[in-house]
Amino acid sequence: MLTITMKSFAALIVLSILGGCSSSASVQLTSDFPKVLAKPKALSAAVVFEPSFATYIAKPNTKTVIDMGAAQVRLLRNAFTGLFGRLEFVGSREEITIDNAMVIIPSVREVQVSTPSENYQNVFEVWIKYNLDLESTAGESIDSWFMPAYGKTPDAFMASKSAAIEQAAIIALRDAGAKLILDFYRIPSVNNWVTEEQERVRQVNIKPKDNAEVSP
Amino acid sequence: MRPTKRLISVLFSAVLAGCSATTTIDEYRPTSEAIELNADEQVVILGRRDAGHYETDREFISCVASKMRGADIGVLPEQEFIDAIYPWFEPRTAPKGLSRLKRLMQDTSIKAEVDKRAVRYLVWLDGSTETLDSNGSMSCAVGPGGGGCFGFAQWDKLSVYEAIVWDLQDLTEKGRLRVDSEGTSYLIGAVAPIPFLSPVKDDACASLGNQLKSFFSITPATQ
Repeated sequence: MLTITMKSFAALIVLSILGGCSSSASVQLTSDFPKVLAKPKALSAAVVFEPSFATYIAKPNTKTVIDMGAAQVRLLRNAFTGLFGRLEFVGSREEITIDNAMVIIPSVREVQVSTPSENYQNVFEVWIKYNLDLESTAGESIDSWFMPAYGKTPDAFMASKSAAIEQAAIIALRDAGAKLILDFYRIPSVNNWVTEEQERVRQVNIKPKDNAEVSP
Repeated sequence: MRPTKRLISVLFSAVLAGCSATTTIDEYRPTSEAIELNADEQVVILGRRDAGHYETDREFISCVASKMRGADIGVLPEQEFIDAIYPWFEPRTAPKGLSRLKRLMQDTSIKAEVDKRAVRYLVWLDGSTETLDSNGSMSCAVGPGGGGCFGFAQWDKLSVYEAIVWDLQDLTEKGRLRVDSEGTSYLIGAVAPIPFLSPVKDDACASLGNQLKSFFSITPATQ
């Protein structure tokens, strides 16, 4: 009986060592992201998380799978609250109910992963290349913004490849949130849209006063 | 028999002596006076992570933080601070100089979060531990009758870390420290592999933590 236990124990140890040395990684990102500390503008936006984006599973190479759809939706929902005062999150363009909003359709162009054996450095790296299609509610294109994000994590002795890639991917997602907050309103076409939208709101607010003066 | 024993003990002592690390600390402070920290104020230690080829590892930051906590200095965990003011201290957005810090602290919501946590000083840690050189070889084999490792390997490690202290109230730099720690580790394969590891990183952490502790002087909490 003891021999069986010892054999099982030895097999378990060998399996866990082999698992730790495994060159493939399958990762599901489940972490939450902190609330953004940013003042949103008094503007409206509808963010369309298409099913292909919300359930996105990245396969940067034959040995790596990153299930990141739900995590990137959580991240962007959080990040956009720091940009727009009025937000609507929908699954398709047809579900949008708010008017005069910027319609934002995010998509993933590419995910790349680099390991210490590839980059000859002691770090695991993840690049996520996003594309944000920006449109008016009428369907006119405002811009198509390329938004790359990067995360890296140090290689640790005996740490698994999956854990390192998961950590690097989470850092890359946080970086995407940071880039969005930092650069979104710096895009010239977005800045123009903001100016036009603020002018339109100003005109709408002036009109009732004009009518009040005319009416008896 | 005696000379053999003596020889073994001499060899053993030589190997152990070789495992020790040599640590040097450089310090710069604009004034020799201690940095005043109220008992109700905290320090946060953050790692620089914007360099391309290395990362200031979280383990080292936790180690330095634990050394400072040992001196009754309130240390806010790194991740708690970074999360509280997300996304302004991410690798992409973290201030690299005082001018950027001043601009950040002009934002009332960021300042409010810093004040809420009573963070008075920010310590930036930047550096890494690298293997410089390695020699020798070790081969291990396992067979039906058993297994073992034979050979000899050695490697040199170098830890270089820099700490910069920023005052979040005055928005000034209060001082900087640099620690260099170097040592050689050995692995002897005599059936079982016997490691003699040089505590390069631990020495760097202890030296940096103790020196940083001496920067601060705790004053009783203000009412």
